[in-house]
Amino acid sequence: MSNVVIDPVTRIEGHLRVEMHTKTLETSTGKWTVVDKAYCSGTMFRGIEIILKGRDPRDAWIITQRICGVCPAPHAEASMQAIEAAFDVKPTPLAILVRNILHGAYYIYDHIIHTYLLIGPELGVLAKYPPMVPPALGKEGIAKLNLGSSYAQALDIQRKANEIVAMWGGKFPHHQTEYPGGMAVKPTADKIAKTLSKMTEIWSWVANVMVRDFTKILEANERIGEAVSAILDVDFRGLQDLGASTGNFLSYGLFPDHENYDDWLSILYSPGYRKSALIQAGAWDGERKAFDLKKIEEYVKYSWYDNASGLHPSEEDLPKPNKEKSDAYSWLKAPRYDKKVYEVGPLARMINTFGMKWKIPITNPVTGEDFGYFEYEVQNPQGSVIDRVAARVAMTLLIANKMFDWLEEAKSYLGEKVTVKKDKVREREGFGLWEAPRGALLHYIKVRDYKIDRYQAVVPSTWNFSPRDDFGQAGAAEKALEGTWLPEMSVAEICDAIYPEKDIDLSPLGISKVVSWGEALTPALKQLGLARLNIEKVNGNEYNTTLALLVIRSFDPCIACAVHVLRC
Amino acid sequence: MKLTRRNFVKLVSALGASAFLTTYKSDIVAALEENKDYWHIAWLNGGACTGCTISFAQTADPDILQILTEILVGNSGLPIVLPDYMETIHLASGSLAEEFKEKWKSGKAGKRILIVEGVIQDPGYCVIAGKDFREHVLDAVRYADAIIAVGQCATFGGIPAAKPNPTNAKGLADFLKEEGVSKEVINLPLCPVNADQLVVTLAAVIIGAKVELDDYGRPKMFFSTNMHNDLCPYRPYYDKGQFIETPGEGEGCRYKIGCKGPVTWTDCPLRKWNNSTSYCVEAGAPCIGCSEPGWPDKFSPFYEEVPNLTSAIIDPTKLGTGIFGATLAGIGVHAVRRSLRRRKEVEENE
Ligand code: SF4
Ligand code: SF4
Repeated sequence: MSNVVIDPVTRIEGHLRVEMHTKTLETSTGKWTVVDKAYCSGTMFRGIEIILKGRDPRDAWIITQRICGVCPAPHAEASMQAIEAAFDVKPTPLAILVRNILHGAYYIYDHIIHTYLLIGPELGVLAKYPPMVPPALGKEGIAKLNLGSSYAQALDIQRKANEIVAMWGGKFPHHQTEYPGGMAVKPTADKIAKTLSKMTEIWSWVANVMVRDFTKILEANERIGEAVSAILDVDFRGLQDLGASTGNFLSYGLFPDHENYDDWLSILYSPGYRKSALIQAGAWDGERKAFDLKKIEEYVKYSWYDNASGLHPSEEDLPKPNKEKSDAYSWLKAPRYDKKVYEVGPLARMINTFGMKWKIPITNPVTGEDFGYFEYEVQNPQGSVIDRVAARVAMTLLIANKMFDWLEEAKSYLGEKVTVKKDKVREREGFGLWEAPRGALLHYIKVRDYKIDRYQAVVPSTWNFSPRDDFGQAGAAEKALEGTWLPEMSVAEICDAIYPEKDIDLSPLGISKVVSWGEALTPALKQLGLARLNIEKVNGNEYNTTLALLVIRSFDPCIACAVHVLRC
Repeated sequence: MKLTRRNFVKLVSALGASAFLTTYKSDIVAALEENKDYWHIAWLNGGACTGCTISFAQTADPDILQILTEILVGNSGLPIVLPDYMETIHLASGSLAEEFKEKWKSGKAGKRILIVEGVIQDPGYCVIAGKDFREHVLDAVRYADAIIAVGQCATFGGIPAAKPNPTNAKGLADFLKEEGVSKEVINLPLCPVNADQLVVTLAAVIIGAKVELDDYGRPKMFFSTNMHNDLCPYRPYYDKGQFIETPGEGEGCRYKIGCKGPVTWTDCPLRKWNNSTSYCVEAGAPCIGCSEPGWPDKFSPFYEEVPNLTSAIIDPTKLGTGIFGATLAGIGVHAVRRSLRRRKEVEENE
């Protein structure tokens, strides 16, 4: 047994360390190293909940946004909804539309960044798909070998999506225009028109490039499966057999119907689905069940806190950090639903809303031109790398479609009130249930004497990257890493093992040579000092962590968020 | 016009960085390419939310890809090169990532830029690759030829250092002072850092233009104008006494919904955010003063006029009387009278 450590895991938000205990898998083709048990640990703690105590409740959403600069908008929204629940005020229909527009654009940015910049490099290299490979050969390489062309465009498109957020929010990250009962931004025909024009460009990129890129990855998937099966002599279908977790999926719902906000709110008081929302709530454990807020508890046996374990967020005290606590290995807590491990994120949202088969229209919202559907069937009911990526692409398209409806609707509400002002409350509590791109997000506020008395945030990455709980159950990502192959090969060698044929023509670069995929990548990686990419050395052996990183990144870890109260 | 070191900062301050970047983009790129040398950049993340990284990725003109391929790389012979180390976008993970951090130190002397994002906390609250963030910073600072602290956290402590500051978080300059290290830190506050400001500062460092700093280490070219007095488009409303009372509703100045413009020195209204799209006050929200030391505590509650605004924020021992006087005049006699009266009431009630 070896102990393979990835620290830091980069291309994520925050500080994450992953420790993998290995075992040997013996097959007819040889002895292979796979992950036996994995331990995820968050290594930074700031204590935002402690900082909130005693402040004006209306300041909470501005401060909690700073939990995470990658997903600030969802923290703002969950917090704002918690404040509104405590103040007993509902945003106006126009405000809900404006929020949907702002957060819709935000979602598009985030899913694009993740798909291309964060998990994209591994996907592109493994699937031998040059447009998704980071532009390792510079501008020349991008153009001539089509290297990183999508990667480069993604940077441009995500920026345009953020310009929409800035238009409605003042700036991004950390927008500033929400207010209990509404929005501080006044919608105008001009803003709507500008948003429409940006969305037109973004939509066609999502529909044409993003969907196409995913289809190409999916096509390569079978080949990856066959090759890996042959190498290891195991039955491995492809990326759907990588990163399987518990098969329990939790979603709180996203994008309320501006005309049916009571349906949205009802879930705070009784189990429900939020059926009128674009993305619905639910707790899937093989079949769809209503989401019940009462069933959430956080466990801290393996976390560096002296707090009581197994409490509901409304009962939890402010964090009591204890860096010396024995057995603990993370600043993350272990949230559980009905005492079980649930996965959160885009896949959980899609499954809880649409089940296992999705069909999203690709009809140009402006020209009406019909390109059929993006259709996908979940390939592993336990969740997997490819299913998580598919869900992210599906959600981007779904939201890009919906943006046009919201903008259209907003036009008919122009001139109506965007904010109802409500006096502050002396004493009350409130929940906000929303989704960050990486998963279900809960904020809880308790107001006493007009001030924040207690604040609690249960965030996506604590669900996905939690340490073990008091019952000994591994967190979702810890579970998903079990069985992952750690090849004793370089990245280029893995590529050549999957794609041995020589069919990459280097002549556009002035080199008259036809080489294999691995050979083509080698000089680029070398020149960038990346020849030893993803290699961890343990006791003289070298393990490649590319597949493990794919599993980790498929959950889109966001650790400062999870460690707002924790240290990983 | 040829972009020389001498007129670089002059032009930036005269035009505002956005206008400068747009007008002189090709000159900047040309000036930088003349360097023909690879610049070594390490971007460290401590107690941060990564918002500054994301903000940097929104730079439009030049865009981030251009910065990485044309500006930072120059004609060094390398193809596209990411900063030597930048946790959030780097291709390498784990031990290779740590090697890159080490390698940055052996980069060419005089060409090493260190960018720090996030606060520095007491030992044990931020550990990367088994080493405390404090050590990572102290080590890197020794080799840096220019140090840029980005965002409120790395400059003045920001949210993690807000009351009761559970991890004893602080900005980079304060940390270095405490450790007895004397090296100049260029502070680019705001929450997050404004991408344009960072790009212009990087450009200035690379072409060797001296960046003039104020008492808080902020480049004067960005942080010497008062938002309310000098730049706010709603100032005429203020002077007429026309105020917005409910956020989002009505026309007027944002003072009564808590705008801290009068005590905020930044050029947000000029430069704006996200490819010059908008900024907080223009979109309808109050300014919460994220460019200033003492933020957020001295500026909250965000939606209330802070009764003792002027005295709480302006420390006359630190700021020149010129600025102090200007602020008082700018806020207007009625506001000052009201704030004095309120303070008196508060004192009487205590
Ligand atoms: S108080 Fe704020 S909104 Fe009003 S004029 Fe001054 S800076 Fe502008
Ligand atoms: S307008 Fe005020 S709150 Fe907004 S970014 Fe500028 S200084 Fe910060």
